[in-house]
Amino acid sequence: MTGTHSKLTLLLIAIVGFLTVCPVVMLVFGSLSEGLTATGTFTLAKYIDAYSDPELLQVIWNTVIFVVGSSLTATVLALFLAYLNIRTNIPCKFIFGIISIIPMMIPHILFSVSWALLLNPSNGILNLILKQVFFLDSSPFNIYSLPGMILVEGLLDLPIAYLIIAPAMAAFDASLEESSRVCGASTTKTIFRITLPVLRPAILAAFILCVIRGLASFAVPSVIGMPGRIYVLATHLYEMVSTGFAADYGKAAAVGMSVLVSSVILIYLYRHLTSAGEKYVTIAGRGYKPTIIQLQRSKIPLFIILGVLSFVLIVLPVIVLIYTSLVPYSMVPSARAFSMMSLKHWIDVINDPISILSLKNSLLLGVFGATIGVVLSIFVAYVIVKVRTRSAGILESLSFLSFSFPGIVIGVGFMWFFVRTPLYATIWALLIGYIATYLPYGIRPLSSAFVQIHNHLEESSLVAGASYLTTLRRIVIPLLVPGIVSGWVLMATMFVRELSLSVVLSRPGTEVLAVQILRFSEDGLWGRLSALGIMMIGISTLLVIAVNLIGNRFRPPES
Amino acid sequence: MKSARWLFVFCAALLLTVNTLGVERSAAAEDKVAFYANITAIEPIMEAFTAATGIKGEYTRISTAKFLSTVFTEFEAGKLMADVIQAPLPVLEMLKEKGVISDYVSPEAAVYPDWANKNGIQLFGIEYVGLIYNKELVKPEDVPKRYQDLADPKWKDRIVMANPASHATTICWLVGLKENVFASEAEWREFLAGVAANNPMFVASFGPTPAPIESGEKSIGISMPKYIVTKAPAPLDWARVEDQPLMGTPRAMGISTKAPHPEAAKKFMDYWLSKEAMSLLANKVGEYVLAPGVYPPIDGMDQAKVIPIRELSDQEIAQWGEEFKKIFAVQ
Repeated sequence: MTGTHSKLTLLLIAIVGFLTVCPVVMLVFGSLSEGLTATGTFTLAKYIDAYSDPELLQVIWNTVIFVVGSSLTATVLALFLAYLNIRTNIPCKFIFGIISIIPMMIPHILFSVSWALLLNPSNGILNLILKQVFFLDSSPFNIYSLPGMILVEGLLDLPIAYLIIAPAMAAFDASLEESSRVCGASTTKTIFRITLPVLRPAILAAFILCVIRGLASFAVPSVIGMPGRIYVLATHLYEMVSTGFAADYGKAAAVGMSVLVSSVILIYLYRHLTSAGEKYVTIAGRGYKPTIIQLQRSKIPLFIILGVLSFVLIVLPVIVLIYTSLVPYSMVPSARAFSMMSLKHWIDVINDPISILSLKNSLLLGVFGATIGVVLSIFVAYVIVKVRTRSAGILESLSFLSFSFPGIVIGVGFMWFFVRTPLYATIWALLIGYIATYLPYGIRPLSSAFVQIHNHLEESSLVAGASYLTTLRRIVIPLLVPGIVSGWVLMATMFVRELSLSVVLSRPGTEVLAVQILRFSEDGLWGRLSALGIMMIGISTLLVIAVNLIGNRFRPPES
Repeated sequence: MKSARWLFVFCAALLLTVNTLGVERSAAAEDKVAFYANITAIEPIMEAFTAATGIKGEYTRISTAKFLSTVFTEFEAGKLMADVIQAPLPVLEMLKEKGVISDYVSPEAAVYPDWANKNGIQLFGIEYVGLIYNKELVKPEDVPKRYQDLADPKWKDRIVMANPASHATTICWLVGLKENVFASEAEWREFLAGVAANNPMFVASFGPTPAPIESGEKSIGISMPKYIVTKAPAPLDWARVEDQPLMGTPRAMGISTKAPHPEAAKKFMDYWLSKEAMSLLANKVGEYVLAPGVYPPIDGMDQAKVIPIRELSDQEIAQWGEEFKKIFAVQ
């Protein structure tokens, strides 16, 4: 490691460490102290209490099935979508690209409620249609089940997986596949022997990020799991902090430590599995061509499959939201419901000053926060992938620290920390908290993209006399554009709909969209909630389109 | 290290821009009042207060689960920003015990019942709970006339309620039934077993209870009658249980001992307890308030007997939560 690399790594450890360690340390204090705050007499009582709960085993088992199932669903779907969208000449690519990341823009609670309206066993819209079409006596689907939870969480995590796998897919050198075919291998064999192994770092990164997100997820376990009486870690923690009036977040933090430890193990496992980074390098300076595969007879069938999947899994819940925003209260579609439609909820939201302030604040946090987050992520991903020392490993673990805690707990950790600083109750606290917590969303796609860029390119530039910054700006960053776009989109859309931190850090004047949406949800105002949710989707979509268009201008040309 | 310097300069410039665009400067002392509350949909009162006094009312909504943790954390750090605090009575009592709540008694409280004043903690309403049903799905003859009717097998798979193992108010309400409605514990337990056998759908709190009823996913629920007002024109009505009371936890408020705007806080408390504000709370939000002669615009509510439930300690709530977990087979 050069001196410059060493200094850069230490500097980044200091920055990322400051951002992520402080709230986690406060949570450790909280879990070890008596009382309801992070200060108090030392005790292990909260750990003993939390881990001696006989129901914990069942909860852990449910959590494992839920998290692994939803992560597999998200990763497999993302691979399928990304392969067709990036590598083939399937029609309407741009639209499919946007559709794949729509679930990311929808508040999770709203997406879960949409699916409950579609597939609840009593009067779920899809169930009613299927019952009528196939003359069934009972509803064929019950969303309030573990498979239902896995489906909805899988769809919600799909954009994370897609935005990590897609850039790696875009940087894939098709000559490897062509060589395989020239040697006589079938398409299936080529996919399993060449394509998937080369994409392994991105696939593992996507899967592991989905696992960690699934562990922290609350909306799906609450809206879909609780009515089905299926409890996972997030709802177990919720029960822990909501039973009684003196909520003990220290005890919840004690359980959260297990999630943190699991996440750290997963990160090290991921690093071990991708340690032979050189194997995955596909952009080495010569012969790089991200070729598009021409689909022949399978073009139309695949287009139909992709269209139907996108419609049923993603577009339909959004249509339900639009419908809900237009009817006066939650109603099953009928002639009466359509006759009662109006724009009342939209007008209410537009005339609500707090909703408008929330839109403004969230937009600012999304745009500026994601920009800062991506700049930091470029440096961190560079050190993680290209330097690969023990310090780089520490940096990677640090970047995951606050991300690994369940959302219901980490917000309180930030509150315990920020209250000791002048930043408390300001928009700065939100900005810093967002970047600290969601840094992996920027780092992962950039790491996947960095993995595929050979050191020779950088070394050649340095040998030719260019500085690190020039090399980064002229050589590395243009090749990283797909990763930068993905990281920015992930962070911006996440910031626009962030709830866990906002709900404890937001104060009058710093209201954000998710907090306003939560208010509407607590008041049962689903119409306004849906109207604001659609505005949120609209803003996020505009951001995604804008950054994709900007990204396309700097992307290396396709052959 | 050039790149690191560049990174710092860039970040600082961006943060400065965000600050310029997004942060509203705080108003001068006594020009505003900060109100921490868990009660929902009170914007009409905040606006009316500002219009009446010229003092800006800033409403910070904090869920019950995060209430004590947030207030204690700010209080211990010397940064409690709240002037006036509203929450369920047990929360206010714990805050009072820690010295967070002052002894201020508003002159407006004189018309309230004696039991509503607790040495600086002022009760102003009851978070009343009842049986809410979809009047398009439930025939008038099927509407429960007593709480016991909810255990009838005809309600199987048609009930929604907040999780009885964790939702504090639901736990208190179920215990309240034992202490105020049922003749014996055996009869009460029979009722619980009957409701459990009807396989109710559980949701996290009262907020999500009306949606499945109005959409027809469920027919009836243990919920709050105030939704008949806030969710209008949804086809909701409440079961007028005969000779049985409606019950709920008292809603309480008090002024912070370290209120940053103490005079504005007193004016706010006085305004909140006035008949004008309480009428807004009843009419716009459907709340049951303790101001004499003020009722929510819900048919028959002025005739209902609404009583506060006995306060349960957190230990009792946890114990009953465990008990209900078994009875209702929550896990």
